[in-house]
Amino acid sequence: MTDAARSPAAPPNRSQQRLELSRETSVTAVLLVLLATLAVLAPGFFEPQPLLSRLTAAAPRLIVTCGIAVVLLTRQIDISVGSLFAVCSVAAGILSARGMPPAFALALAVLLGAAGGAFNGFLVAGLRLPSIVVTLATMVTWREALRLARQGIFINLPDGIQWFGLPMVAGQWIVCGTALLVLAGMAIGLRHLAGGRHVYAVGSDAEAARLAGLHPNRLTFGVFVLLGTLTGLAAVLNLVQSPQVDPATGRALELEAIAAAVVGGIAVSGGRGSLWGVFAGFLLLACIGPALTYLGVKPYWDRAIQGLVILLAVLAEGFRRKRTAR
Amino acid sequence: MSPDSPKSATIQPKGSLRSHEAILFLVVLLELVLFSSAGRNFLTPDNLTNLVRHSAEIGLIALVMLPVILTGGIDLSVGSLLGLCAVVFGKLWRDAGWPWPVAAAATVAVGAGCGGINALLVTRFRLPPLIVTLGTFSLFRGLAEALTRGTDAFTNFPESFLRLGQGGLAGLPVQAWILALVAVVIGLLVHRGTWGRSWRVIGFAPEGARYAGLPVAQRTAAAYVATGLVVGIAALTYTARLGTAKADAGMGYELAAITAVVLGGTSIFGGVGSVHGTLLGVAAMAILTNGLTRIPATLSFAGELSGLFTGVVLILALTASTLSRWWAERRTKQAPP
Repeated sequence: MTDAARSPAAPPNRSQQRLELSRETSVTAVLLVLLATLAVLAPGFFEPQPLLSRLTAAAPRLIVTCGIAVVLLTRQIDISVGSLFAVCSVAAGILSARGMPPAFALALAVLLGAAGGAFNGFLVAGLRLPSIVVTLATMVTWREALRLARQGIFINLPDGIQWFGLPMVAGQWIVCGTALLVLAGMAIGLRHLAGGRHVYAVGSDAEAARLAGLHPNRLTFGVFVLLGTLTGLAAVLNLVQSPQVDPATGRALELEAIAAAVVGGIAVSGGRGSLWGVFAGFLLLACIGPALTYLGVKPYWDRAIQGLVILLAVLAEGFRRKRTAR
Repeated sequence: MSPDSPKSATIQPKGSLRSHEAILFLVVLLELVLFSSAGRNFLTPDNLTNLVRHSAEIGLIALVMLPVILTGGIDLSVGSLLGLCAVVFGKLWRDAGWPWPVAAAATVAVGAGCGGINALLVTRFRLPPLIVTLGTFSLFRGLAEALTRGTDAFTNFPESFLRLGQGGLAGLPVQAWILALVAVVIGLLVHRGTWGRSWRVIGFAPEGARYAGLPVAQRTAAAYVATGLVVGIAALTYTARLGTAKADAGMGYELAAITAVVLGGTSIFGGVGSVHGTLLGVAAMAILTNGLTRIPATLSFAGELSGLFTGVVLILALTASTLSRWWAERRTKQAPP
């Protein structure tokens, strides 16, 4: 029985590794085809300043997606990041509006994110509760507490916070650069650091990892704290982009992030996928909406097409799995 | 089945589910007592009718979500599907000029068909339900937005249709009858027949169910198709209750329904759960939301407060059940690591 139960999560053999590689290549290929089509049909898509603005707007989501990807790799899930993102944004907004130096306010927001992640991590790793239910509960709790406290009122940010008090283009480069640094750091860490390899080990088979001397519980806790911290960081990078804080910000962020991670080849059954694939999946989903607008498709088709892309990506996975099963 | 297999920890003895339901029943009673003493006009026929009307859709969705969760699956697309069905109904009635009963039947068929898409992807292609329904969550809502070009809304439905959401039958709101019918059908399937019992078996041990000769794919697919079908019905009562159909209908209902099911003692891993528990979970949330609007001090934040309480109660209920299980395991001294 234990063998049967574990068979879906059997450790990746060589053929599976090749498949995983092909998944990243296929997403990248689709992305390149999309960009090439745009280059021919709508070169306006690549005008530097609008492109930089779009990338800057998407950068916070990339950071959250990286964090979600690691949580999925350990075979857990977190659907509370959107609510936590809003809590961190509002906290930073209130603190800086009350006159706290921006650097402190933003740092505290990141710490608050870490604390929120630690709370999820404690419930999941400490009490061994199912992560989807825990984060469903914290998602509802944080969101409603925020609605109760703010009643939907926007917070006006003081001068000097927007773009960190720098000119806009410099601020945009800082936001994009931070997101790319986080991505690169985590991608390298997952591949080459012991902690990163432990993520894959625990995600593939937590019991085997425990018997091999790892600490799955500590690792799971750490992964949730990491995601919380990244969510706080993303909230900060999002906050500096506008003069106001919307307390309803971050809605559906968790679903977008999970979708991007999955399209990029992260298996929800844990232990499989890489952050470079996630980056390709993220860019694909982030580009497809604006790209279609440039190609003349009406914007109200955005969400339907995003859903279709997600389904096609997982369907490809399904076909592949059927083939390997034979 | 070896005693230390991962599943055995999630399967609770029947008694612990019963005690969970008993506690939840006490919570519902406590809410009733609290709100009827502190709230204004809480226990009046008018308000109770109102309460049933407003919680009927989430109740319907929670009831059909139960079989899906019992099989170890999940359906995140129900709220989006409700929006799609509402828009399809409006389109067929207003733009295609169909009589409303025909349009309504077609809407329910569309719901079942969309549930069929989920079923196909989950059973034929063996894809994780979470990811499949995350995709259809976007797809269905996106189609609803595309059909209405993001802004269109359907109104001025005929009086005979609006009765479905605003009228009564034999002294009770129409939704109460629909809800009771669905509850009885699902209850008979899950608790009385072998056909529906297979859902629990599948959730308990999918491989075991297959070796036992159960048609796992067929039964799992049935759960998703039934969900789509009932969501189609819920879309009709939703539209009739509000008198308008828009693309944003039913937003967030998936999480409310899952919360109600889990609050009712159903294991999110499948295999354990009951219809009466689910109904109690729905009732606990519905009474809380309604009751808070009956107390002047909390009237203006009733929505937020009930959401907050639901979240906190969910965490507490989970923690309590885990701690009690640990305690029981320690007492019998066969605690697995």
